[in-house]
Amino acid sequence: MSAKEVEQTSYEPKILMFACNWCAYAGLDLAGTSRLTYPANVTVIRTMCSGRIDPSFVIKALTEGIDGVLIGMCNYGDCHYIDGNYKAMKRFLLLQKMLHDLGIEMERVRIEGISASEGLKAKRVISEMVHTLQKLGPLKIVEE
Amino acid sequence: MSEEIRIGVYVCHCGINIAGVIDVKQVVEHAKTLPNVVVAKDILFTCSSVGQNTIVDDIKREKLNRIVVAACSPRMHESTFRNTVEQAGLNPFLFEMANIREHSSWVHPDDPEGATEKAKTLVRMAVAKAKLLEPIEKSRADVTKKVLVIGGGVAGLQASLDAANRGLSVTLVEKLPVLGGKAALIGDLVYSEKKGWQIVKELVTQVVTHEKIHVLTNTTVENVSGAFGDYHVTLTITPRYVKETCLTPEKGEEACPVEVPNEYDFGLTRRKAFYKPFEQAYPPLYLIDMSSCTKCGLCLEACGNNSIDLEEKPKTLSEKFGTIIVATGYEPYTPSLGEYGYGKDGRVITLSQLERILSENGPSFEDLNLFDSVENIVFISCVGSMENPRDEGARTYCSRMCCSSSIKNMLKLRELFPSSNIYFLYRDIRTYARKEEHLYEQASKNGIIFLKYDLSTPPDVKINGKPSVEVLDKLLGKRIQIPADLVVLANGMVPPADILKLRSLLKFPCSSEGWVAEAHPKLRPVELPSPGIYIAGSIQAPKDIIESLISASAATAKAVIPIIHGRVELEPLVSYVHEDVCGACGICVSTCPYDAVQRVALEDGRRVARVDPRLCMGCGQCVSACPSAAMQQKSFTDKQIHEMIEQLVV
Repeated sequence: MSAKEVEQTSYEPKILMFACNWCAYAGLDLAGTSRLTYPANVTVIRTMCSGRIDPSFVIKALTEGIDGVLIGMCNYGDCHYIDGNYKAMKRFLLLQKMLHDLGIEMERVRIEGISASEGLKAKRVISEMVHTLQKLGPLKIVEE
Repeated sequence: MSEEIRIGVYVCHCGINIAGVIDVKQVVEHAKTLPNVVVAKDILFTCSSVGQNTIVDDIKREKLNRIVVAACSPRMHESTFRNTVEQAGLNPFLFEMANIREHSSWVHPDDPEGATEKAKTLVRMAVAKAKLLEPIEKSRADVTKKVLVIGGGVAGLQASLDAANRGLSVTLVEKLPVLGGKAALIGDLVYSEKKGWQIVKELVTQVVTHEKIHVLTNTTVENVSGAFGDYHVTLTITPRYVKETCLTPEKGEEACPVEVPNEYDFGLTRRKAFYKPFEQAYPPLYLIDMSSCTKCGLCLEACGNNSIDLEEKPKTLSEKFGTIIVATGYEPYTPSLGEYGYGKDGRVITLSQLERILSENGPSFEDLNLFDSVENIVFISCVGSMENPRDEGARTYCSRMCCSSSIKNMLKLRELFPSSNIYFLYRDIRTYARKEEHLYEQASKNGIIFLKYDLSTPPDVKINGKPSVEVLDKLLGKRIQIPADLVVLANGMVPPADILKLRSLLKFPCSSEGWVAEAHPKLRPVELPSPGIYIAGSIQAPKDIIESLISASAATAKAVIPIIHGRVELEPLVSYVHEDVCGACGICVSTCPYDAVQRVALEDGRRVARVDPRLCMGCGQCVSACPSAAMQQKSFTDKQIHEMIEQLVV
């Protein structure tokens, strides 16, 4: 698909979201029980803690052809496992630098604290991500 | 594993909750095309007994060994279906759930096609993971039949009594030399004919005479090891230095030349290094505060050498406990120097200090000689509470007791100084509890003047001779100046500073404001995420005495359950090490928030990391930290997650 065609057909990005069991996943569940709506582009993989999310998962997803990755963690101070979200954030910051060095748009990976009561935030973050990736289009890795 | 993988997939209609949006039949047909899927069915309500029986029958008839249910959130029914699978004789962990309700049908009602495609993807991912699932044996541990209560305030006292009255042995540990906590320092209470210290006295009398309760004052928790059901706790008992056999401790106090601010009066008065905390204190014993004692020896002369041992050493005590109740309470907020004039003039005091003045066992206005006559008394609300959330480290919460406590004390001051004007500069009146609205009404009728101020324009207290308070009245829109004879700052509650030490020992999360965070605010309000540890009282958030006592009874009710069962089930989804690839780098050891990973030497001398499954809480933080993929988490292995990612792009 050429860049021009992408613009015309409004690109439908494929997004992977990792969500920790206690906060972000519960927040996504709340979005559901509250009947909030968001685009169907996002599919969620649950881990017990955002500290389980290995940066290699994100790399794997991007190389498999997924357009963007969202990481949902607990807000600071809310982590069920004391400080797993801080570890997730540290790893994310490193990963972001690496992606930047690889020439991958940093907006393709985003981390957010979403509490179990923040269904609205889950909806907002997902909707924003879909919008961002619609604009970015598919991931272009330039081979040298 | 060489056995043939036979997967059963069940797609739930959930009535119309799922089937109203998602084409369930299409999802079933898709599932049938997936490798290893032997059975794929749709069920109207999978969680109903009919639905569950279908799964059980299929497992038996079709020799299924992995089950996938595409239905609601695993947070809702994962445990239900694990039980179903177990009923059929299958290991309960050979089960995976695809959330096609909360994460698809309910959030994409206007996009049935997209929702159906997403459901197919979720099923594909779940099937891929299910293929790689391995059975997990649940492990159990015996429970030591003993409860540790940390904190001897009203909550800790009540918790100890409740546990002991259920026949359990209790050790109650208090870091201060006296029991009773903050309530012991309060006189009149709202909604109680008994005074604070009287309530404490009643609880203390029952506690210290109870044969099942071992009380340790002047004692801190030094170390905690072991795991759920069998916590090994080391306690350090600081000596009092004054022996109980001392017949004339008053003489020792009199002889002591060292004076320091009295923490039991929040610095209003001074006490000796040789002292008794306050009247009605229990235990009613004198002690020496070694942090201020100069070892001059004058007390030895006054009381005799046999009564005092200045070289007494702290004792340590190691005990095992099945469960632990944390009831360490709060600290009153101490305003910073100059905050509303605090510390610049003796006539600016905190609400906690006023409680001491108005309490029978504290100093009186006459003792303190604060003023000759009183014309104006000004209370300022929300000092150290409800701060601006935009400020770094702000205490944004309401401390909940200061409004009613202020109003209660205003009415008392109204009796003491009938001709005075009493002003309450408030942000919001939150007299929310029983009878408190009545108190507010009474205050209004008694001529207390309420002036509302705004967060952005806090009152200004100037000290020029007499304190002078200026406030912008929000309702009148006018600046009002009040020359005050007494300014009372309604200080809120803050978490005690030393909670951090306990946090590192017991490994529990705290809110960003420092209060201990429960496992779930509504479903598990008195439990900590670490199993076998419970919270009582105001260490959780600001609470009044009634709420503290209720939470103490609730926490105890929970804390005795594992002990009554005698055996507890441990976290199944723990991490484990592939020892053949482990390089013993130790990153996992430092990553683990629970000290569950240690490096051990194998028989051939090679060192590897090893997880203590009793301590592991199953977060998987160590797994993503492992540079050689030696560390894995049960049911969340790298391979399983990679497989799921691959299915997403098929």
